[in-house]
Amino acid sequence: MHAIEARGLRKEYPGAVVAVDGIDLDVEEGEIFAFLGPNGAGKTTIVRILTTLLRPTAGTATVAGFDLYREQREIRQSIGVALQEAGLDAIATGRELLELQAKLFGLPSSTARRRAGELLELVGLVDAAERQIKTYSGGMKRRLDLASALVHGPRLLFLDEPTEGLDPASRHSLWQEVSRLNSVLGVTVFLTTHYLEEADRLADRVAIIDRGRIVSEGTPSALKASVSGDIVTISVGREHLDEAHTVLARLAGVAEVRPELEGLTLFVDDGSGIVANVIRALDSSGVSVGSVAVSRPTLDEVFLRATGSRLEGAAPEEGGGE
Amino acid sequence: MIEATEVATASPAAWNPWRQAARATVLLGAREARMALRTPAYLIPNLLVPIFFYFIMVGSLEEFANQSGLANWKAFQLPMAIMFAVQGGSAGLNMVADIESGYFDKLLLTPANRLSLLLGAMGADFLRIMVQAAIVVFVALATGLHFETGAPGVVLLILISSLFGLAYSGIGFAIALKTGNAQATQSMWFLFMPLLFLTTMFAPKEALSGWLSTAATFNPMTYLLQGMRSLSMEGWDAGDIGVALLAVAGLGSFSLSLAFLALKTRIR
Repeated sequence: MHAIEARGLRKEYPGAVVAVDGIDLDVEEGEIFAFLGPNGAGKTTIVRILTTLLRPTAGTATVAGFDLYREQREIRQSIGVALQEAGLDAIATGRELLELQAKLFGLPSSTARRRAGELLELVGLVDAAERQIKTYSGGMKRRLDLASALVHGPRLLFLDEPTEGLDPASRHSLWQEVSRLNSVLGVTVFLTTHYLEEADRLADRVAIIDRGRIVSEGTPSALKASVSGDIVTISVGREHLDEAHTVLARLAGVAEVRPELEGLTLFVDDGSGIVANVIRALDSSGVSVGSVAVSRPTLDEVFLRATGSRLEGAAPEEGGGE
Repeated sequence: MIEATEVATASPAAWNPWRQAARATVLLGAREARMALRTPAYLIPNLLVPIFFYFIMVGSLEEFANQSGLANWKAFQLPMAIMFAVQGGSAGLNMVADIESGYFDKLLLTPANRLSLLLGAMGADFLRIMVQAAIVVFVALATGLHFETGAPGVVLLILISSLFGLAYSGIGFAIALKTGNAQATQSMWFLFMPLLFLTTMFAPKEALSGWLSTAATFNPMTYLLQGMRSLSMEGWDAGDIGVALLAVAGLGSFSLSLAFLALKTRIR
């Protein structure tokens, strides 16, 4: 059984604004599935639809085996959700919030108290448990939000931009926790992100979304393999962009040239073999080259190939270049 | 770091909707009450303003009222003070804070009946209103008010005025749910102020004239005040009390329908 199965999901707002434009989706039980896309691509809208917070304009879906329209309460009983903005009661203490959340999921009071204590320990907030949440840092709120999503032991976890605004250390810590939830407890994870590294490191499968549509889908390695060969990134002055584009598009071994703000990205068969030819060709055309870098394709190049633009605000991948 | 743990959670099939809805209402009501106690800035003005106006009105006009033939001016003014206390502008503001912070979504993501979110908040508000009304009455009694129907009358007065406060708060909840905006919730209260002022709040019906007299005649709050004053000034009058309860029921039907409709729109 699929953890999530969606067909033709569409969300249209007044004024013919289409946030989600016919999404088909199959998420297997036990996998980590990432939705990768820039801000405004429709990721959060999809999460809000699948978690019953928003009614789609069209399409069908089952979540955790329950129908999106007829069995909303059963869906909410089966899923845990941490939304982009950690929605917490600032006046409550961490322990009060978790206990209330557990009770609202139907846990008896004694179990709710025990579960809150366990989760506070697990996310490292025991010392802050009796403090009001308004005194917590951003990272602490994220951890508490994750704990509140787990309070009833959900089979399926939705994480909407889970590491947005976190420092690198907190981000890595959260990645570890999500991986362990998946590998140790078998929780299916559906996460959205605009961080390439996050999708690459965490996800078993990635769907790239742009303007409300899935433009590419597969395992991270398969997606990267779909961009065969190497990537050569060249910086040239803006005034030479057109000329450089013309010269390099004619060069043997160059599959595709994509213009960027301050340079060009070349999709080539053999990166290290072609660099000398690239510099020579540009030099003979009078185009001065600022820098040249050769790398293996990343999900950013997959995104670039599929949509024609790079992910805005994407964190650079570690160890991507040569 | 998260370790493997087993959680005994209520399965979807074992869910008893009525029992869980009642439990959620109580839990959310208790949470609202806790929030109110931790943010006294919302409560204190609702209490101090009516008591202040009660003393101002009594101090400045009691002699004049007595000379004009209105013997128990304190008992005449008491319903006005209570109305101010129970209508306070804080209804719905906690809900707006939850909507703005995203916590309302968090609550919507639980399997709890969504009506419980509104009923819990209103239940807590009803308790707050009762306490405020009781404090105003006791302050007035402690400073020389003679209450015609005695202790049972005081209890009934507090109950009727609290029911009015609950009915009136439906407007605040409706605006909060519809707009999710604190400023709109607070500012739109002014649209409903005529409901309170175009009445016999400051003078008996016989003393009103022209358009104000006509407006007061058609305003259901006039009849609520009449019922409350019959308890404080005249004695037991089933007719006046019945009409007051009908006025509250009418306002409640309207405002609570608005609030439930706004909730339905928000969670669609």
